[in-house]
Amino acid sequence: MNAVASALKGGSHMAGVPHRGFFARHPESFTLVLIVAVSVIVGSINPNFFELSTVFDILRSSTVTGLFALGVLIVLAAGGIDVSFTAIAVLCMYAITKAVLGYWPEAPFIVIIVSGAIIGTLLGACNGYMVHRLKAPSLIVTIGTQYLLRGFLLTFVGTLFFMVIPQSMDNFGRIALFNYRSATGATAILPASVLVLALAAAVTWFLLNRTLMGRAIYAMGGSLAIAERLGYNVRVVHVFAFGYVGLLAGIGGIVHASTIRLASPFDLVGTELDVIAAVILGGARITGGTGTVSGTLLGVILVTLINNVMILAGVPSTWQKVVIGAFILLAGAVFATRGKK
Amino acid sequence: MNRKLICSALALAFLGAAGTLYAQGKQQTITTVVKITGIAWFDRMEAGVKEFGTQNAGIKTEQTGPGQADAAQQLRVIEDLIAKKVDALAVVPIDPAALEPVFKKAMSRGIKVVTHEADNQKNTMVDVEAFENAAYGARINDRLAKCMGEAGKWTSFVGSLGMQSHVQWAEGGAANAAKKYPKMQLVDAKTESNNDATKAYEKAKELLRKHPDIKGFQGGSSVDVLGIGRALEEAGLQGKVCVFGTGLPSETAKYLESGAINGIAFWDPKDAGLAMNKIAKLLLDGKTVTDGMDLGIKGYDKVKVTKGPGGGIVVKGQAWVDADKSNYKQYPF
Repeated sequence: MNAVASALKGGSHMAGVPHRGFFARHPESFTLVLIVAVSVIVGSINPNFFELSTVFDILRSSTVTGLFALGVLIVLAAGGIDVSFTAIAVLCMYAITKAVLGYWPEAPFIVIIVSGAIIGTLLGACNGYMVHRLKAPSLIVTIGTQYLLRGFLLTFVGTLFFMVIPQSMDNFGRIALFNYRSATGATAILPASVLVLALAAAVTWFLLNRTLMGRAIYAMGGSLAIAERLGYNVRVVHVFAFGYVGLLAGIGGIVHASTIRLASPFDLVGTELDVIAAVILGGARITGGTGTVSGTLLGVILVTLINNVMILAGVPSTWQKVVIGAFILLAGAVFATRGKK
Repeated sequence: MNRKLICSALALAFLGAAGTLYAQGKQQTITTVVKITGIAWFDRMEAGVKEFGTQNAGIKTEQTGPGQADAAQQLRVIEDLIAKKVDALAVVPIDPAALEPVFKKAMSRGIKVVTHEADNQKNTMVDVEAFENAAYGARINDRLAKCMGEAGKWTSFVGSLGMQSHVQWAEGGAANAAKKYPKMQLVDAKTESNNDATKAYEKAKELLRKHPDIKGFQGGSSVDVLGIGRALEEAGLQGKVCVFGTGLPSETAKYLESGAINGIAFWDPKDAGLAMNKIAKLLLDGKTVTDGMDLGIKGYDKVKVTKGPGGGIVVKGQAWVDADKSNYKQYPF
């Protein structure tokens, strides 16, 4: 891969192939091109798109998807896949909300989010341990745990909506980083919850690029056998990678309930494919060993954007799924063939 | 040898006795299959299902359904029930078309099939509707129109375009507005919320951006009004934009109080559960439902019977409930 990339780099001034080399080395730049293209197209159809509130809405909608996607990035880079993170998130969110409302309604937000993080990490680490111990495909293990956790939630924890969430969560969801009043008299708010995503992105970047664990993750994603021979402890890496998804899922669940101000046990599960699509469209390979934080964030923005501009672009509701599906298919196909001559 | 014979005879006698006892005590089973288990709406329906079971000694009633609103999962649940040989199925289909083959199979094995919220279902014996969907949509639309001053842009939501009833409410509302309120302009109709409050919220924001002068929203799925109400509340538009739609009193209470949702409409799922089971019992007794019949359930005291799209009939009541800030507390679900 590197050899190909540098060969292309050398020949990048040759007519006909320059973009191939550039996009192969920086897959996230292709994501950025798509984001700009979608924005220009939608904006030209409907100028209402170019408003500050659009940026706020996209960022707000990206927050939870982004937290999940950063976790998925780590697991994909480590050569695995996880589809149980939404179930972990909804279990943490709903069970903790219920417990707090029942036993300690005035619990501070930090306690709530930390308990979400801890429970999420433990559940994720169980996934990692099972993947390592059973030598089973991580897809199968996490499909199993997704069913298990969600079944547990609906059977033993509860099925009713909480329309009133603990005060501290409600307060957190209402903190505005920035708000303004548009010409039409509607208020647009950028919630402070996007800072959680920014922090998580910084931590994930540091982890992947500046620590030994980051190297171990990419190495294991490249080839499990070689990583083992190089002396990496693959059990620790497995448990860490899946634990990290769990951590971000737990935090994401709490942030989700805080921003939407209701806790529903039927939420989130079913959105995991959107998240995985976002990570792939951000340039990570489903076969492992690659992927960047910046690419993942761009992928999340792209998927959120495409899901939130169909009405503005005037696509009738019957056609929206067709258009979104075709878009992901086309973009995915471009990514799948990148780097090949 | 003798001992063996006696043993066998005893065992046979025992089996025979057990068989007779079983046959005498055998209850007929009516199983209600809902779209999704555990949400307040279908919990309320389960109350009706259970009530019917306790009122009728010879009938065992139970309610089940998939853990998430997934047509394929609902299909599997029904296939399992056919294999278990229940006597009657009362189903609230997620996607009626997806269930046609399995209902055909059920009926060919002598299982009575009753459906709810699926008047386009071909393979059913009786489809029971709380009301005519178009009339319900029109009624919500009338309330919306009154709130909007019968003028301005409005839009409609559906849980999904595969949900026949939601689409009929939206279209009934649209037809009503087109006929009675020439100054009302329908824009971007039938937005899908995927029955997800967050999605409804995002779509409502997008609609507000595209049409800053929008005056009304008509919700389809019971979570639509929640998402729309939150979007309006955050934009500071409660009271300036009207929101009406199907909703649950317990879930919408907060927004009804704040004025972000102006009014909700619903039918009592408990009564719908009772009606489905009552009709299933009539079918098991070899009877059927006739026009103008009184099922002995509120809102179903003078039902309208029409021929269905397949071999069955469609039974319609007048069982809708209008609720707003002033009276929602009377309905504890």
